Amino acid sequence: MIYFDNAATTKKKPKVVYDAVNEYLCEIGVSPGRGSYSIGIQASRLLYKTRCLVGNYFGLSVPEKVVFTKNSTEAINLFLYGFLEKGDHVIISCYEHNAVLRPIHSLKKDGIIDYSVISRNDLMLSPEEVYRKYAKPNTKAIVMTLASNLTGRIVYNAELFRVFRDKGITTFLDASQGAGVIDIDMGEGNIDCLAFTGHKDLLAIPGVGGLCFNKDIELKPIIQGGTGIHGDLYVNPSSFPERYEAGTLNMPAIWSLNASVNYLKAHKKEIIIKERQLIEYFLERIAEVENIIIYDYDFERVPVCSFNIAGMSSDSVVKLLDEKGICVRGGIHCAVLAHKSLGTVSTGAVRVSFGLFNSPEEIDKVISILKGSK
Amino acid sequence: MWFVFFSTSDVFKAEELLIEADINCKIVPTPVQDKAYCGVCVETENEVAGSILSGLEYKLIK
Repeated sequence: MIYFDNAATTKKKPKVVYDAVNEYLCEIGVSPGRGSYSIGIQASRLLYKTRCLVGNYFGLSVPEKVVFTKNSTEAINLFLYGFLEKGDHVIISCYEHNAVLRPIHSLKKDGIIDYSVISRNDLMLSPEEVYRKYAKPNTKAIVMTLASNLTGRIVYNAELFRVFRDKGITTFLDASQGAGVIDIDMGEGNIDCLAFTGHKDLLAIPGVGGLCFNKDIELKPIIQGGTGIHGDLYVNPSSFPERYEAGTLNMPAIWSLNASVNYLKAHKKEIIIKERQLIEYFLERIAEVENIIIYDYDFERVPVCSFNIAGMSSDSVVKLLDEKGICVRGGIHCAVLAHKSLGTVSTGAVRVSFGLFNSPEEIDKVISILKGSK
Repeated sequence: MWFVFFSTSDVFKAEELLIEADINCKIVPTPVQDKAYCGVCVETENEVAGSILSGLEYKLIK
């Protein structure tokens, strides 16, 4: 099988990640913050260490300012529902995943907020021009994806965030796509708040994501429940991060994230080089396919690319490749805004996304099948 | 004596700071005071600990 759907989930993980899950389940196996006996304390200690590791990885000035969630969707919802208030205005880009669009649109539908979408062309404007065109007196946040999950285009712009932050507008980065293959320093990158998920390029197992804070932001928790401390209170305590982490955390997944982030730190250069080579090779070879349409070809990107072949529907390309044991993704990719911007809502597109364990030979095989597809 | 913190993160941050300063300490169940408590705290007999932890918010029980 050839797996080219790493933008959805990286299927294969480094061995240390599987080992970490196994180690946690076999050697610890209890939940952090739930017992004041030795092994429970050790679970809490591992949680704390992972929190700091992740915070350091994203360049937080206070590394423990990380809230763990089950994925980035939950982290994004925690931020948006917890931060925005009636009358607020938010700016997003036309490349946002539905994990951003849907909570924002729901808040608008409920009459709570309004939002504006930076168009594909306007992303080429200078940061000051974007500010002048889109910001309003009640703009409270700009929310932007690191990279498009559809085309791979890098959307986030540190200078744009600087301009907005200087005006007192909170900057929020959805790093679901790209964290792990692009270096992020929240301080230098003018990022106030960042959401991540573990199971994509961060190479952890599914079930862990989080929200990183580089600014003191008060959110209203979206879940109330047991936190393991201050159990005499009738609502979540105000302490950080327990206030936002009610319920049992997925500690095996969190410990897998510890292993994967350490792996990424140790192999950063080779991973970035390899994945860049893979996407460049694919872009070079896919051009050989007759009637190919490649989206956002000319942009800096993560190892993700979407295309169509004129005269063939995207679903038939996905089916054709699946019959040969190749996994690629068709449809809307939970990115309706991006498809709308590219004019592909009705056709969909075929997305390939590479990971650390893919090879140029696998790309050759896909190209050979596509070249013979007519 | 026990250093009781409001956040669990601070318990482990305190442990790291004390270990770095070569001060013996142990994370233990928080002693019952005016009410029962289900968290953990840092226990140490070293009087210098307070100065090491001065950047953190805690309650000291002796």
